[in-house]
Formats: sequence, C-alpha cells, structure tokens
Amino acid sequence: MGSINTLLPFISSIVSFVFAFLVLRRYLVRKGTHLLIWGIGLVFYGIGGFCETYYGAFGWNPFVFRLWYLFGAILVAAWLGQGTVYLLANRKWANGLMVLLVLGSLYGLVRVFGAELDPSQMTTSVHTGSELSGHAIVTPGVRVLTPFFNLYGTVTLVGGAAWSAWIFWRKRILLHRTIGNILIAIGAMLPAFGGTFSRFGIPGALYLGELLGTVLMFVGFIRATTPIKESS
Amino acid sequence: MKDKDDSARPKRQYPPFYERVVPIVLGIIVIAIFVLLFLIVGVALGWFPGGR
Repeated sequence: MGSINTLLPFISSIVSFVFAFLVLRRYLVRKGTHLLIWGIGLVFYGIGGFCETYYGAFGWNPFVFRLWYLFGAILVAAWLGQGTVYLLANRKWANGLMVLLVLGSLYGLVRVFGAELDPSQMTTSVHTGSELSGHAIVTPGVRVLTPFFNLYGTVTLVGGAAWSAWIFWRKRILLHRTIGNILIAIGAMLPAFGGTFSRFGIPGALYLGELLGTVLMFVGFIRATTPIKESS
Repeated sequence: MKDKDDSARPKRQYPPFYERVVPIVLGIIVIAIFVLLFLIVGVALGWFPGGR
C-alpha cells in the first residue's frame, strides 16, 4: 500500500478528531443540539479516516472495512447535515428528520455488518483498489443506501452553509460567518468530488478530497466562530 | 425628516474584496451542488462505472 494512502487519511483522521473535540467542547459550554450532532458527525469522519489509514498500513480487514463503509461512506455526510438542520430548521422538523436518520443509520448498521464481502472486487473496475471502495460489498441492496444518505447530507450540509453565507452577505453582517460558511460549504463538497475522481480511476483522489475537506471545514468553523475586528 | 435621515445613512457594505468575491463564490457553490447532486443520483441509477 502506498504511503500517501496511509498518510493522507491519517492526517484527516487526526484533524477530524481534534475538530470533533472542539465542537463537542463548545456544545458542553453553549449547548445547542446542532453542535452535538456536528460533533458526532465529525467523530464518524475521524473513524472513516482511521479505517482508511488501517487499510493503507496493514491491508484488508473485514471489520475495519465494515466500520469504514458504515461511518465513512454512509453516515458521515448525513449526520453533519443533520447538525445544520438543527441549526436552521424549526425544532419539530429537525426532530422528525433526526428520528428518520437514527432509524436509517440503524438499518445501515444491520445491512453493512450483515453483508457478504469480497475485497478482490475493489480492483475489478476502473477503481485502482489503492483506496477502500464499496465494490467489496457483494450483497445486493447495501451500497444502494449510500446515495440516499449522501443526497440528504449534501443538500443539508452544503446547502445549509451556502444558504447561511447568502443570508449574512445579503444583510452585510457578520463577515466572519459569511467567510466561515463558504469555507464549510466548499470543504463539505470536496470528499464527494474526491470520491468521484477516485471512481474514475485517479488514485488518492478520495483521500486527498477528504483531507482538504476536513481542513477547510475546520478552518471555516474557526473563522465562523471568531469575529473579525472592525476597523471603523 | 425621518426619510432624510434614512437616506443619509450609508448602506452597510463588506470590504470591496468580499463585495466582489462572495457572490461569485456562492454562485460557483450553487453550480457545484447541482453537479454533485447529479453525480450522486447518477451513481444511484448506475450511470457511472461504479458506486462507492
């Protein structure tokens, strides 16, 4: 396994766990369900990165693969997006969607841990096999879950951040939040684009997208929570 | 008198750099969201060689 395919997800994982720690610490101080759900989503991000690191360093392990697919491929975007739903939508809607997400996540858990795996399938398409890939799941009806979660995650996380940035820009208030939300929106999209490039046979694209994504979201979070001193 | 006061009040503005860049970046993000949604739906429907 290439060292890049170990190093990139390792750094992603560390950044994600540090990011999660800061968000959860902020939750303990300020409360706010959105912070709790974001923190959980970032822990999922970190678990995904850790599993990729393991694969890069030690090779195939079915349990690690299942952890990666559940947390890194299926759940992470949706849970991060759910945090944004709690921030922007009314409580009733957010709670309803949360119930659906928890039920969907439990269903995903059962399906992923009950699926039949064949790691040799990861190299049978244009995918190079240098990164983990859902191709290893042989059981039908498991991988089809992923787009639904990612669709929800993209619309809520990226759309929510872009929407927030637009609102602040339109009112010309809180510049730091405008910048922060733009960085979060861009960062949230990068893993998905990285995954797409990886699917088209570019090795390392997924892991690079994940690393840049988590760094940009981290910087965006710091920017959004740190007011800019106005000169006049 | 009140109207006059309102019109005299300068409109809130971000620094010039952000006034120019923010709407452009937001526009690009919106386009990128649609591209991403297309890709996700495409993967779900099997338009591409393989899903994740």
